[in-house]
Amino acid sequence: MAAQTRTRFSPAGLRMAALMLFIALYTAYSAGPFVWVASMSLRTTSEIAANPYALPWPLHFDKFASAWLDSNYDTYFFNSVVIVLSAVALLTVIGGMAAHCFARYTFRFKGLLYFLIFSTIIFPPQVTVIGLFQIMVEYGLYNNRLGLVLVYVSIQLPVTIYILEAFFARIPKDLFEAARMDGYSEWAIFWKISLPVALPAISTTVILNTILLWNEFLYAVVLITEDDKRTLPLGVLRFLGDQLEDVGMIATGLMIAIVPVVLIYVFFSERLIQGMTAGAVK
Amino acid sequence: MAIVKLDQLGKTYGKVVAVSDVNMTIGDGEFMVLLGPSGCGKSTTLRMIAGLENITEGELSIDGQRMNAVPAKNRDIAMVFQSYALYPHMSVRDNLGFGLKRRQTDKAVVRKRVDEVAASIGLTEYLDRKPHALSGGQRQRVALGRAIVRDPKVFLFDEPLSNLDAALRVSTRAELVRLHRELKATMIYVTHDQVEAMTMGDRVCIMNNGKVAQIGSPMEVYLNPASTFVASFLGNPPMNLVPATTGEGVVESGSGRIAQNGFQPGRKLVLGLRPEDLCPTDKVEDAVVSGRVTSLESLGAETLVHIDTGGTKPVILRGGRNIPAQLDQTLHLTCDPAMARYFDAETGVAIIPGEQQ
Ligand SMILES: Nc1ncnc2c1ncn2[C@@H]1O[C@H](COP(=O)(O)OP(=O)(O)O)[C@@H](O)[C@H]1O
Ligand SMILES: [Mg+2]
Repeated sequence: MAAQTRTRFSPAGLRMAALMLFIALYTAYSAGPFVWVASMSLRTTSEIAANPYALPWPLHFDKFASAWLDSNYDTYFFNSVVIVLSAVALLTVIGGMAAHCFARYTFRFKGLLYFLIFSTIIFPPQVTVIGLFQIMVEYGLYNNRLGLVLVYVSIQLPVTIYILEAFFARIPKDLFEAARMDGYSEWAIFWKISLPVALPAISTTVILNTILLWNEFLYAVVLITEDDKRTLPLGVLRFLGDQLEDVGMIATGLMIAIVPVVLIYVFFSERLIQGMTAGAVK
Repeated sequence: MAIVKLDQLGKTYGKVVAVSDVNMTIGDGEFMVLLGPSGCGKSTTLRMIAGLENITEGELSIDGQRMNAVPAKNRDIAMVFQSYALYPHMSVRDNLGFGLKRRQTDKAVVRKRVDEVAASIGLTEYLDRKPHALSGGQRQRVALGRAIVRDPKVFLFDEPLSNLDAALRVSTRAELVRLHRELKATMIYVTHDQVEAMTMGDRVCIMNNGKVAQIGSPMEVYLNPASTFVASFLGNPPMNLVPATTGEGVVESGSGRIAQNGFQPGRKLVLGLRPEDLCPTDKVEDAVVSGRVTSLESLGAETLVHIDTGGTKPVILRGGRNIPAQLDQTLHLTCDPAMARYFDAETGVAIIPGEQQ
């Protein structure tokens, strides 16, 4: 009888059950809003108005087609891809080079420079965005995709340098010296040794920056007002009128914006975690 | 092929003097070993030759050309690192060919050369592996191969065997010697292991505290150490150093004496006796040192006998397996006067009897 009691209410089993319950609740809590928006994206606004939480039936897949074709989403998508890819490419190269220098060379004011670059992250974007707006107007970068790329590069640069520097610093210096003995210049060593050896860290920053910038809203909404230059997260503005909000289409627009990020995350999450926790190179 | 000349070479880090006044000329095709205790400046010297460390004093030249300002990548020198420093993201083939590719753009030539070298050092079947999938010994060979492929003017080695296990170290030592004979290249080899130095070097440069203590062939430095430092660094166990005073035609060790002409009487010096040159004797009057046996270490082929002669350190005798010695017995030891060495009591510099100094 004692054995039976133990199998039914063993402390380990109870703990497991409690854990499962917690995980289930937490999943519902964090995924709930996403599932809700996803379900709304397949329903019309009048269906939603009638019952906000009902299951999507019938499924209005045509809403995606109409958002894409009639509401300029193809342009937004193109803008997002171009802007995010350019920003991420620039970030990787500039951030990589800066991190390479911080990790490998000693030079005057290195500590101060590092502090200055890194200290920019303590200012919330809401504070800097007003000043930034004026600067961008001044230099003709307002309503300009290049302007947004530059802003994206500068806001993500500190954390990119930080992640890469930590990794570069763990690459044994013998490796660079061996390459020097093999006849390579510092420039060639950066491309042929630093970058490839740091690939796990590089892919971490690439994925991180892609996701963050793809979803970026604040700078985009302040610095871009022309419809043809908007990025995907701004696409929903189309469905926000003065009097009317097309909730159903907003949900559809959001889903179009989110799906690529979800896909990136699903395919690369393992790599992302790997890069963040990668050990030193042997 | 190259002659490497170091002229008053020195290196200071801020106020720390790591290396100073290093003078040597390494001949074409010579195998020079830099030997010394850890921290004596061997690596720094090697890295200055490589161009990885800038030279703060003196001059380095290769084949008569001043090299001080030539960057490492243009010196045509290959270096094997203690850590091997293999490129982790490249296959063995790419590791081997990396340096050659820089100079030789024809891919077929690089490929052929890499295949050749890989075959000569037994790496052919590992060419497509990455370094992390190799054993320590294989990695070491890749590091070696990477240097050979380039056919450089000078090979530099910084303790390349210290990460190998004992058996592999012995076989790799032999392989390096074979390689040197085949390539006839100028090689400079840093080690703190005197067995490596004795067995591999054409000449050995012994360093201490950033300075050259002695340069010579392995037997020269073993038989005629230039100072008490060299005497006590080489040999296992090292040379016995006994404080002594000169008399009329003899040198008194305190517990015995040895016949030696050419010294002014009454001079204090240090008598150096190699453990293998000592021999037990019955005649007390022949003994250079005498004392009580404090320990016996049987090493199989030989026996080490520690004798307390009243000095600070025991005198050690290296005898045969069947040496007739027992613990606590009093032993008298004799030595061929030709094998005894003398050093100045203050400076530790070697003195030759008869030469006034
Ligand atoms: N970057 C450096 N800064 C200051 N001192 C150094 C530096 N590198 C080496 N040294 C000093 O130079 C001396 C020689 O070092 P090293 O050439 O590495 O010795 P070894 O290779 O013979 O063990 C040591 O005392 C070491 O502390
Ligand atoms: Mg060293």
